Amino acid sequence: MANTGFSIELAKMSKSYNQKNNVIDKMDLSIVPGEFLVLLGPSGCGKSTTLRLIAGLEAPTGGKVLINGKDASKMNAIQRSIAMVFQDYALYPNMTVYQNLEYALRVHKVPKQVRQQRLTAILASLNLSNYKDRYPSQLSGGQKQRVALGRGMAKKSQIFLLDEPLSNIDVQLREKARDEIQKLHEQNGQTIIYVTHDQQEAMALGDRIAVMNNGKIQMIDTPENLYHNPTNLFVAQFVGTPQINVFKANYFNHQLLDESGAVIANLTAYQDDGLQEDTDYLVGIRPENVQLTTDATKGDFQVEIESIVDYGRYKQLTLKVFDRLEIKAVVSDWQRHGNQAVYAKLTSKAILLFDARTHERIQPSRKLEPVLE
Amino acid sequence: MLTEKRNWGWHVLLILIVMAIMLPVLFMISNSFKTLQESYHAILQLIPAKPTFSNYLTLNKQINLLRMVSNTFLMAMIVTLGKVATGLLAAYAFQNFHFKGKRLVYFIFVATIFVPFTTVMIPNYLVIAKMNLLNNVIGVALPQMADATGIMLFIKAMGKIPASLTESAKVDGIPNRKIFMNLIIPLLKPSIISVGAIFFINSWNEYVWPTLVLKDKSSFTLPLALQNYISSEGGTNFPLAMALAVIMIVPPLLIYMIFQRYILNSISTSGLK
Repeated sequence: MANTGFSIELAKMSKSYNQKNNVIDKMDLSIVPGEFLVLLGPSGCGKSTTLRLIAGLEAPTGGKVLINGKDASKMNAIQRSIAMVFQDYALYPNMTVYQNLEYALRVHKVPKQVRQQRLTAILASLNLSNYKDRYPSQLSGGQKQRVALGRGMAKKSQIFLLDEPLSNIDVQLREKARDEIQKLHEQNGQTIIYVTHDQQEAMALGDRIAVMNNGKIQMIDTPENLYHNPTNLFVAQFVGTPQINVFKANYFNHQLLDESGAVIANLTAYQDDGLQEDTDYLVGIRPENVQLTTDATKGDFQVEIESIVDYGRYKQLTLKVFDRLEIKAVVSDWQRHGNQAVYAKLTSKAILLFDARTHERIQPSRKLEPVLE
Repeated sequence: MLTEKRNWGWHVLLILIVMAIMLPVLFMISNSFKTLQESYHAILQLIPAKPTFSNYLTLNKQINLLRMVSNTFLMAMIVTLGKVATGLLAAYAFQNFHFKGKRLVYFIFVATIFVPFTTVMIPNYLVIAKMNLLNNVIGVALPQMADATGIMLFIKAMGKIPASLTESAKVDGIPNRKIFMNLIIPLLKPSIISVGAIFFINSWNEYVWPTLVLKDKSSFTLPLALQNYISSEGGTNFPLAMALAVIMIVPPLLIYMIFQRYILNSISTSGLK
């Protein structure tokens, strides 16, 4: 059952539809056999186009796609060994569930007995055995999605491409479908490229995630690194809910100061490194790293609580700072303390700094352990 | 109350329209069952005083009806199949293949719709004559085997099939020929039937071009035969002509009745008349 999966390499791959601007711009990407890679990005960032270029549905206008080390443009569909699940499932409406799964195998002359054995197992594993004689129009969204998945599985390909396969089904079903896809990857060991705009889905599934914007990969790394060490503001903002808080601050004498001159945070020597005195930076702080307290210590600043949303497991607060800024905080518990003043403390080691102009992350160059305050 | 009132108004209008359409048809049917004498003094009477089948029998004696029906049927069938087959293939190519000059070719195809028949009539005639296909229904059908209207309609119908269907099949390595036969044709069945029915009826009724090609009476199609009974010298035998007209409208009417659902659907969605 297990495949080893094919490697995929994109070498300076570009795609342009009008010879002027590139939808995909000189993209380099290398995916190891058996990897689960997620392409994550907002709509129109070129992630689906990337998938279509790998699938061979479109030809790159520059660069190359290498599959299993060979130039994909010289390979036919069978050599590429790709199965693809489309966002709208693309089930053949004139064929039953079973026929949908069987069709490609039949065309490629897989013996009937092999087909039957394989498909019966797949249908059973996807809980579709009772629906095998139904037509796609007689299925629910979740069932259609599973049939599409099953059709991809039936091919036993080395590569599995999924284009937003869960975006058309109910939220309740999504998590279950996610698990199914993960299980499928564990069992079959195919190389999977999964396209989505949902960062939670991406974090849940990917070995690595490639965040795309404007036809370029912004960052490619593990979910953990993407979250804690984004390379630029776009990645920081795209990953994580609620969104990371971003505001402008001036760096002066180991401190970050608000426009009003108030101290926002004291930086450790670790973070100081490479910063220029009296320069504006963009400060990024994730909501869970904004702590609230009623007794202030040095570096804390007063906030006004505007609203509290209770999600049960955690509470999300919208805070007004310096009468100007709005920041969000996520805390496990918070009780109102009458009219007492409330202060916010930013977890210093979790502060991310970005160049105000380029929006690139200012990476601490010294690998020192951050000093806890 | 309000809606009921409005419905009444519409119904009266519809009844008037239906009458306007049905009256000539009823006129034709009723006169086909009258004797020549009766038609002279009571041509407008809808129910014949003494219905007679004699006109049909006379027709059968005067001309080889069966042969003419089969001539017409053969011609209409060849034209329909030809137009549908070439239309589907061309539409698939326009939809799925990328080739140089695609837009230009498409433009030229569509432009043929605007070329009046009268301008191509003579060249077509000369070609058919050179091919020795005069007096042959094949000669009538041959220049009509492809039709830009059909291509356009099929492109439109194919456009409604999600691109992901063919793309999914292509990723799976299904050859175009199979995609066309196993996916496109079954999914386009309603369009194929409706467009085919319209082609068939048009071809069945065709008059000008067949008159040029078919000179020999044995090769006549029904519209040509009908013309023979409407003499310009005033000697028209109306009941006889009406009887032939009745015979002529039966097949298109049958087709229309059988495929009504598809045809109406295609007219309303395509704007085609």
